[in-house]
Amino acid sequence: MKTYNAIGDSLPIRDAELKVTGRKQYVGDMRVPGMLHAALLCSPLPHARIRSISTDRARALPGVRDVVTYREDPGVLFNSATRFYEHQIPNTERIFDSTVRYVGDRVAAVAADTPEIAQRALELIDVDYEPLPFYTDVETAAREGAYPIHGESNVITTMVHNAGDLEAGFARADRIFEDRYSTPPIHHGAIERHVAIADYDYTGKLTIISPNQNVFGYRIILSRIFGLPMSRVRVSSPAIGGSFGGKLEMTIEPVAALLSMRTGRPVRLELSRKQCINATRTRHGSVVYLRTGVKNDGTLVAQDIRIMTNTGAYAGSCMNVLGALSHKVFKMYKCPNIRFTGQPVYTNTPVGGAMRGYGSPQAFFGQQRQLQKIAKALQISLAELQLKNLVEPDALDPIGFYSLGNPRPLDCLRRGLELAENWGPLDDEGGKYAIGAGLAMGAHGNGCFGAHRDQICLMIKMNEDGTCVLYTGSHDMGNGSVTAQTQIISSILHIPTGWITVVEADSDACPWNLGDYASHGIYVAGSAAKKAAEAVARELQKEAAALLGEPEEGLTLEEGGVRSAATGELTPLDQVMIHAQNVSHREIICQETYAMPAGPTSYGAHLARVRVEKATGKVAVTDYVAVHDVGKVVNRMSIEGQLHGGIHMGMGYALCEGLSFDEEGRSCNDSFVTNPILRSHQMPRIQVDFIEETEPTGPFGAKSIGEAAVVPAAPAVINAIENALGVEINDLPYRFGGGAPAPREKEET
Amino acid sequence: MEPVSFFVNGEERTVLAEADWTLLYILREKLGLTGAKCGCDTHTCGACRVILDGRAVNSCSVKAASLRGRRVETIEGLSSGPVLHPIQQAFIDAGAVQCGFCTPGMIMSAKALLDQNPDPDEEAIRRALSANLCRCTGYVKIVEAVRLAAGRMRGAAV
Repeated sequence: MKTYNAIGDSLPIRDAELKVTGRKQYVGDMRVPGMLHAALLCSPLPHARIRSISTDRARALPGVRDVVTYREDPGVLFNSATRFYEHQIPNTERIFDSTVRYVGDRVAAVAADTPEIAQRALELIDVDYEPLPFYTDVETAAREGAYPIHGESNVITTMVHNAGDLEAGFARADRIFEDRYSTPPIHHGAIERHVAIADYDYTGKLTIISPNQNVFGYRIILSRIFGLPMSRVRVSSPAIGGSFGGKLEMTIEPVAALLSMRTGRPVRLELSRKQCINATRTRHGSVVYLRTGVKNDGTLVAQDIRIMTNTGAYAGSCMNVLGALSHKVFKMYKCPNIRFTGQPVYTNTPVGGAMRGYGSPQAFFGQQRQLQKIAKALQISLAELQLKNLVEPDALDPIGFYSLGNPRPLDCLRRGLELAENWGPLDDEGGKYAIGAGLAMGAHGNGCFGAHRDQICLMIKMNEDGTCVLYTGSHDMGNGSVTAQTQIISSILHIPTGWITVVEADSDACPWNLGDYASHGIYVAGSAAKKAAEAVARELQKEAAALLGEPEEGLTLEEGGVRSAATGELTPLDQVMIHAQNVSHREIICQETYAMPAGPTSYGAHLARVRVEKATGKVAVTDYVAVHDVGKVVNRMSIEGQLHGGIHMGMGYALCEGLSFDEEGRSCNDSFVTNPILRSHQMPRIQVDFIEETEPTGPFGAKSIGEAAVVPAAPAVINAIENALGVEINDLPYRFGGGAPAPREKEET
Repeated sequence: MEPVSFFVNGEERTVLAEADWTLLYILREKLGLTGAKCGCDTHTCGACRVILDGRAVNSCSVKAASLRGRRVETIEGLSSGPVLHPIQQAFIDAGAVQCGFCTPGMIMSAKALLDQNPDPDEEAIRRALSANLCRCTGYVKIVEAVRLAAGRMRGAAV
């Protein structure tokens, strides 16, 4: 029997042909007749009241069609990270406000006939600012008496979670370790910049086309800001040139919408790279205070984690990220006594948001760094310390006492250690280089289970020739989530993936989807695809039974048709579909909603080896091994690519990325020159592998990879550098001698 | 504005251009060739890379005034009708494509390399791609794709 795209096969991303030919239309490539071009004026000050703003000179420039400021703001406070209709999170943001709260905050926008005129007009807007006190780090902003950026305090809330008895745990400890760790805000670095086209038409309908991860979430926010019913707001995300969470929260769409509604013209707004870095979202910076108690044999008995996250100037996803973070640290070790205390803090810096890892990179960096320190103090290897404490497959979450699924961090580590044994010798060139190896563990979830509903509805419509259309609210960012859905449908309907066409990420055309959060692409959306395909399969069998006059039980889908057990004959699907239309007078269209039923965790072990030039501190990561617990590989090519990319991003977190701020509150890192992404010649030899021990609740046993992939990388690399140099490194990114960034190779043009 | 004539994918094109317009702007806004992308504004990401007189360059760094008579190859000129160029096919087969935004520039860098050196080692491939940023792949499968393409092209040439 011929099978199509068996689970575990390699399948290129479904629009690869369009991408390699340059024919994929990204939003930045699109032009709409009559379209105006917008430009955004961003605040040059970190915190100020606008005393006065004059747009007269800008409006007088020929070709300028509209200028908007806080005076034109619709007056609705919103939260850019709103996920679902009844979601309760702090609303602190407006399209334009009379107070600006960070360098990059929105001051005004212009719509003009050309992008050049719009840019020139920005220079003709006269703003008089009254500066206010500002803070760029959480520890200062959180101090009592600090000038509040919103409300009465910059500390938005204090979140506490407890497992076991912390004090009793510390009382049992032979040794207690206490350290402070910090991580900087990180720019997502998708190569595609933020861009949106808004078109408010004469029927009173607002259409937004933008690369984004949450068409339904954006629809809620836009409908509230502009007082439009949802039937009058359509959000479509036709292509995404990378996102990593950076296009999950709404940023520029309401600006384009406001200009379109006022001018009656379609409006396109595209940010510069500098604006993407300063004026969209970042991974939250963090400061972690970590206190850990251990027995002399290495058994972890108590861990007290206090974290402050830098949520920047607006609330955004401060609660969501901290909430997610708070649970992850409980899922790695058998340590029974844990306290988590988390505080999101406002500062006058770019807004913290969703970014790959969603709290895990911050949480695990400190934890994995301190474990290395503990191992050294106890004179055991870090691997041995890990093996002693990592959770086993029967583990329960120590707070909720629900199953962690089939967690396999132990297998990941064992396999990783085995693979790293193949690393060849490295030459230190007579002591010129220091060589060190490091390892770290990391974990991430599979969806929003435990926080709120995480559900997805998919619809499949059969065509009369046996091919079909999938309607999915998933936003494929290049991660292959929609490709995996077609692979799953193909394997259930026994049709080639080429028979499945897809309508994707359109709030009018597709059934509701939570938005692409929390690495739920395979576990939740993949399960929804399976459920919807199984429903179609049942309908096809029912129809074939009527056509053939045989019982349904004897009919199976095979090779693009239905096989009869009685006769052995294969009836092609087009005959089944023609019977449906012509005799039964019906269509086969199935929609199924899948709600995430459990909260399994995905794990990974990373091992890195570095060679550090002693004189300059310059680091080369030479070898890398990563092994992840993914339940079951659905698309091998895709999952390898996800892991490679996660390693690359995590290495950048360790070595060279991150925003810092000068005395005026300005970002020092607002381009790819000052905030570099690692290049091809800077990457090590990478070897990856997967533990496939089956997650019982996952589709075909599968669970997530996307975000877990990035989590262990930075601590693994930093642990290796520490082992090479013998110095303690507790702040990201790595700075040789704690001073200026490590020397980097010159940027090429 | 001045008329500037140059060759795009083998065909002579004349564009009325300001001297400081970039090749990227002309390709995207005047010739409708949107395969080259703008990702950075600082000549650092390589998403706009094309081949100019045989060398891969960032098209955002080339001014209209310097284009006269020169030969530009873009991603749109690679495939022959519906048949993909071996490098394009190798990018698909090796799984080198994720979000795809860097892909055209990456493929143009790869083509410039393979036009000069049909049998590059891994180091040469990595150096040739070092002007192109990718945030999705860690470059692993991109390097594999270039190696695969090189092998297939050498095979085809024999």
